[in-house]
Amino acid sequence: MIYFIIALVVLLLIIAGLYNSLIKKKNDVGKAFASVDVMLKKRYDLIPNLVETVKTYMKHEKSLLTELTDLRTKAVAGDISDDERVDIENKIAKGVSGLMVAVENYPDLKASQNFIQLQGAWNEVEEQISASRRAYNAAVTIFNNGVETFPSNMMAGMMNYKTKMLFEIPDSERKNIHAADLFNK
Amino acid sequence: MMNKDKNFKDFYEQTLVPELIMLDRERKKVDRRVILIVLITVIAIIIEAKIIPEDAGDWKFVIQPLTGILGFILISVVSKNYRLNFKNKIISKISTFVDKNMQYTPEGTVPEEEFIRSAIFQHSCDKYKGEDHFRGTLGKTAVEFSEVVAQYVTRTGSGSSRKETYHTFFKGIFFVADFNKHFKTHTIVLPDTAERLFGKMGQKLQSLAINRGELIRLEDPEFEKEFCVYGDDQVEARYILSPSLMQRILEFKRKWNTKVYLSFRDSKVYIAIRMTKNLFETRLFKSVVDYNFIEENMRYLILLTGIVEDLNLNTRIWTKT
Repeated sequence: MIYFIIALVVLLLIIAGLYNSLIKKKNDVGKAFASVDVMLKKRYDLIPNLVETVKTYMKHEKSLLTELTDLRTKAVAGDISDDERVDIENKIAKGVSGLMVAVENYPDLKASQNFIQLQGAWNEVEEQISASRRAYNAAVTIFNNGVETFPSNMMAGMMNYKTKMLFEIPDSERKNIHAADLFNK
Repeated sequence: MMNKDKNFKDFYEQTLVPELIMLDRERKKVDRRVILIVLITVIAIIIEAKIIPEDAGDWKFVIQPLTGILGFILISVVSKNYRLNFKNKIISKISTFVDKNMQYTPEGTVPEEEFIRSAIFQHSCDKYKGEDHFRGTLGKTAVEFSEVVAQYVTRTGSGSSRKETYHTFFKGIFFVADFNKHFKTHTIVLPDTAERLFGKMGQKLQSLAINRGELIRLEDPEFEKEFCVYGDDQVEARYILSPSLMQRILEFKRKWNTKVYLSFRDSKVYIAIRMTKNLFETRLFKSVVDYNFIEENMRYLILLTGIVEDLNLNTRIWTKT
């Protein structure tokens, strides 16, 4: 009888351990995902400043600037579907990298302290976004391993956990980040 | 590099050789004194062996070693000036040659507080000393480095039989540089011993390491094989350790071919490079007017100042200037 109880307790402990570790892994994924979101918001905050700074110098890029402002307004409003948001993120990244190229034609702007500061901030945000995506991918990999490997896969089956998708991150490309899969949770 | 090599040859012949010839005269004097001290010490030990009576007890084991130690102390006293002259006259000139913005203090060291702040080693630092301190701004990056020996103490016994033993837990170069990105949390990169020894089990062990923050698993398998990374923040650790920096750290490690430790804290990078060789020292019983001998010092200094380029610290495309 006593052996039976010991075995039962051990079994329960193992089950609890598996359960908790899966929950923790899932929460880590959620946390990492939220940090991607925080970094993206930081990027939105930079846009008005950037537009304001370059506006007075840039003569031929008016439409690009209006587009960026509109995109930001849409993104911040928040009542959009995930797919739309991914699309907007892509457009913002592309728009700003286009802007940075166009700056080459305006030496005064390129040399202005304000712009240099903003450019630095932009690079920083882009790298932070990239870092948060890598952190998300790492968390997802750990979670997926938990879902797919024995014995935690049995627990995951019961909890109805499925593997999650990774972000695709191009090797060294920072300027043109593929936000595909970003919000397809 | 080729250019610097040729320049160094000229610099050696024009500037250093005259100084070295003077130093070599001093060396010969020191050599003679050292030989004299060794002879006297050896003779003293032999005489002691004869005159100490058989029943002297413990004294027998004390007097002779003490004589030997005294000999060593005398040698370091008579050669001290010569050693310092070499550093002041030769190494300081090489330092200016390698980078004119660098200041060299032969008896200086990276402050102990910086060493402790890096938190690379978890031993309590009971004895800290160093020499050959270099400091300067290389390009846009402020750096300082020196040789460092750090020890912790263990105590055994009590009362009169109480014994203190010092154990060296780090000997080598300690390097501090301003990092090119801002960050708030602490990230540490350690040589990976657990994973190489125990594989998967090692990873488990790493994640249990106490007082080190969270284990950060990075995506570069080569990097993961060599190092294990702990940090307070998963995202910021990756912000610091970008894929390109990971590659650079790997190459840096291969270049030195020894254990290297990195710590990122307060927007600074701390690097500890283990090394048994004592750098920037002169020698006895062999002429110092020797191009290869002098050039080696220059090579080490170029290797050390090159860390700034190796880790790309002069790239300031972020908000930090």
